[in-house]
Amino acid sequence: QHGRLKIKSTAQQEEEKRKEREKKLKLYVTARDVCFSQRKEGVLDEEALQLTQQLLSSNPDFSTLWNYRREILIAPGDCEEDDVQKIYESELSFVERCLRQNPKSYGSWHHRGWVSARLPRPDWVRELSLCDRCLSLDERNFHCWDYRRVVVRMSGVAVDQELRFTDRLIGSNFSNYSSWHYRSTLLPLLHLESPEPLSPTPQLAKTSPRTNSHRVCEEQLLKEYELVQNAFFTDPNDQSAWFYYRWLLGRAEREEMISCVYVSREEERVAVCFSKPVHAVGLMLVLDGQPQQVEWRSVHPRLRHSPVWVCDLPPATISDIGNEHNLTVHWTENHTHRDCALYTGRSQSWCRDSATDLELFRSELSVEKTSVLQSELQTCNQLQELEPLNKWCLLTIVLLMRALDPLGYEKETGFHAVCLYGDLCSKFIIENTILKMEYAEVRVLPTLCHLDQLLLVTHINLSSNELERLPPQFCMLQCLEVLEADNNSIVDLEGVYQLPKLEEISLKNNKISKIEDLALLASCPKLRSLDLRGNPVTQMANFLSDIAKLLPSVTDLQL
Amino acid sequence: MLDRNIILVIPVAKMSEEGNQIEEFEQIDFLKDRHVRFFQRSLQVLPERYSSLETTRLTIVFFALSGLDVLDALHVIDKDNMIEWIYSLQVLPTEDESNMQRCGFRGSSHIGLPYSSKGPGMAHPYDSGHIAMTYTGLASLLLLGDDLSRVNKRACLTGLKALQLEDGSFYAVPEGSENDMRFIYCAACICYMLDDWSGMDIHKAIEYIRRSMSYDNGIGQGAGLESHGGSTFCAVASLRLMGRLEETLSERELDRIRRWCIMRQQTGFHGRPNKPVDTCYSFWVGATLELLDVFQYTNYEKNRNYILSTQDRLVGGFAKWPDSHPDPLHAYFGLCGLSLLGEPELMKVHPALNVTQRAFQHLQQLQQAWRDNVSSCT
Repeated sequence: QHGRLKIKSTAQQEEEKRKEREKKLKLYVTARDVCFSQRKEGVLDEEALQLTQQLLSSNPDFSTLWNYRREILIAPGDCEEDDVQKIYESELSFVERCLRQNPKSYGSWHHRGWVSARLPRPDWVRELSLCDRCLSLDERNFHCWDYRRVVVRMSGVAVDQELRFTDRLIGSNFSNYSSWHYRSTLLPLLHLESPEPLSPTPQLAKTSPRTNSHRVCEEQLLKEYELVQNAFFTDPNDQSAWFYYRWLLGRAEREEMISCVYVSREEERVAVCFSKPVHAVGLMLVLDGQPQQVEWRSVHPRLRHSPVWVCDLPPATISDIGNEHNLTVHWTENHTHRDCALYTGRSQSWCRDSATDLELFRSELSVEKTSVLQSELQTCNQLQELEPLNKWCLLTIVLLMRALDPLGYEKETGFHAVCLYGDLCSKFIIENTILKMEYAEVRVLPTLCHLDQLLLVTHINLSSNELERLPPQFCMLQCLEVLEADNNSIVDLEGVYQLPKLEEISLKNNKISKIEDLALLASCPKLRSLDLRGNPVTQMANFLSDIAKLLPSVTDLQL
Repeated sequence: MLDRNIILVIPVAKMSEEGNQIEEFEQIDFLKDRHVRFFQRSLQVLPERYSSLETTRLTIVFFALSGLDVLDALHVIDKDNMIEWIYSLQVLPTEDESNMQRCGFRGSSHIGLPYSSKGPGMAHPYDSGHIAMTYTGLASLLLLGDDLSRVNKRACLTGLKALQLEDGSFYAVPEGSENDMRFIYCAACICYMLDDWSGMDIHKAIEYIRRSMSYDNGIGQGAGLESHGGSTFCAVASLRLMGRLEETLSERELDRIRRWCIMRQQTGFHGRPNKPVDTCYSFWVGATLELLDVFQYTNYEKNRNYILSTQDRLVGGFAKWPDSHPDPLHAYFGLCGLSLLGEPELMKVHPALNVTQRAFQHLQQLQQAWRDNVSSCT
């Protein structure tokens, strides 16, 4: 059911076609019946190959017949290797004829792969050239691409040779999305970040399937940026380069690792911060050389994937301020760990990223990352001046600005970046659905490069930001003492849940309207000061008595 | 000592929601009656060029039946007869049950066995079920109102389990075939309909799905393969049917998939970047977006206009492109695409199971009855 265009034909042409069809049908049915009676009787021979050949030529997705052919081909016999080679080679010619007629048949490609794997002396050059021809007719034929990958893997073609192949294809046509895709699987293989030295010609042996999540070294990355920029400057409306570009920018992301461990004597709690939201299984706490029986939980019950996980130590384990303790958190799933020392006389301790990492783009404050992303942002801004309505460009600019750490900027540029961000929003064309979607959700917290700082933040000021809610992610702020979020439109405080050190909250001029919306605040044990001026809830009847019942320890209440 | 008193001012931008999109449409009329007749004809005789699809005939029947269901026009066919014919395609266990791992449903009678819609199964060395036929067979029985009482569930599930590979994906037939995301979807539908997940190893299937996520955040047919609208639907819908969508994919990953999918819209939808739009992707991608709660952000008008531009005004049905011959697959998915848009004369379609909501409710009632039966027996 591939596309067939309508073409009118004369009455005579119609009649000729009809006669030809009748003839074909008769042949088909006869052949089929003979074939099956033979197969039933276990007849596996030359004649059967002939018959199935006839049938498969017109019906390449008749899987039973392909299977029958495979049975015939592997049937034991006194065959010299040369004979086997000849038989399989003629099989390849037959499949090639089928593919010419129907280049998108699953059955035919599958069979070719099966035959190639069994050929005593495979001719990989010929197989690659078949793929080349096929792709020149339809460069998006994924069957062909998939087969090419199989051939490359079986023949041990070097990764950089395949990269050059994609270079050629992309060079002649930037919009060859399948080529970019292939490149995304090859790139990380060539420049794998690993402690062991790379073999001189890395080959495409059996690799772990999701190589696209591996990282790429900086040198190669910068070259790729250049290649992609050429592509999107040549044709800014072509999706291929933008998708690839976005992926490349993400290659600078950190792998999953423990970025910070925080321990507090008072709460007898350990908090672990990861470089990205994770579902942490296999976390193990070792205290002074002894593994501890603790239950790890996400900071908010609704967050299955959370950047911060906490556990409570058995009572009196670390509460004595006269004792020094050494903690290690092991993340067995990812084979990493982080140590943290809690010194005498100290009520809390933490430990963050150190400079001992070999991997690049590790710390968000590294000069390399910021400068690379800034230069990319500059390039996109240049393009945006030439093509102001190009949505891909706008999207990428937004992405880059989010990724850049505003704290790394000078104060002025930091605020400038904020204003520019707001400016871009008003420029967005209304029916641009993608951008609509990007902003449909209110994003409270900035990007991952802040995560290990956020765990340690004691004060936060979110005032005047058109916020409607403080979502579950807000629970990450386990050290928060003062929260200011005035002049927003907050109705939902879901994320203000079990924050152990939170003492003061200011929510002036928001939209909290029901006493129930404040219920979660009761889970914060140290809360004593609450400013709710300018919220509809303060006008409710019985508000004073309700709030006194709900939050008895709040002594400083501003209404 | 590090300064921990960091005051952060977070910039936030918010777009205002746009109003309802179904307002002033250019009036391309939807020719409901033509489509009913198109499906009726598809159930009677198909043109010669469909002969290569003989082995998969049951899927074409499913497109026609479900298409009629979406058009609320199942009354035009003889349901009982159709149900009998579908049951005749069931590969039942033989007396000695030696063929249990090959049970399921066939695509048609092409193997040449004598017609029989009752058991026991007939021994034949090369008769076996096909995963897509088992799926469409069960779905067709359901939408026809059948109670599945003549389905040998144990046999179907045994046959299904035998098709799963170590990597979590499925063959289509026990003798072997290609294996990819399409068949994981078929397996998930079969287990969902039969209310029995013993037919597959869910964990392995989920691992396969995760490995098939591509660098651009779409999902391919397998690991390292190009993202595709069809396989993305199969993956997301399977996870939804398994009840494991939010568990398997983090909110961030879901956002990325949403983003890849929503960019498939040009006028209608295409299946991969830089490919022409094709009617059927209005369902494959549209339903995925619906399952991810963001279909509302698509442009309804452009989508509807494209689908209707591929409508055949003479013979009915839809084609993948304008000025092309219609076929049952595109006719069916064109209707499903329109149904997602809320086309007034069409029944609502369940975006994961790909049957009408009415058929889905029938399934739920059946499953409730099965469970009540079980509990009343114990």
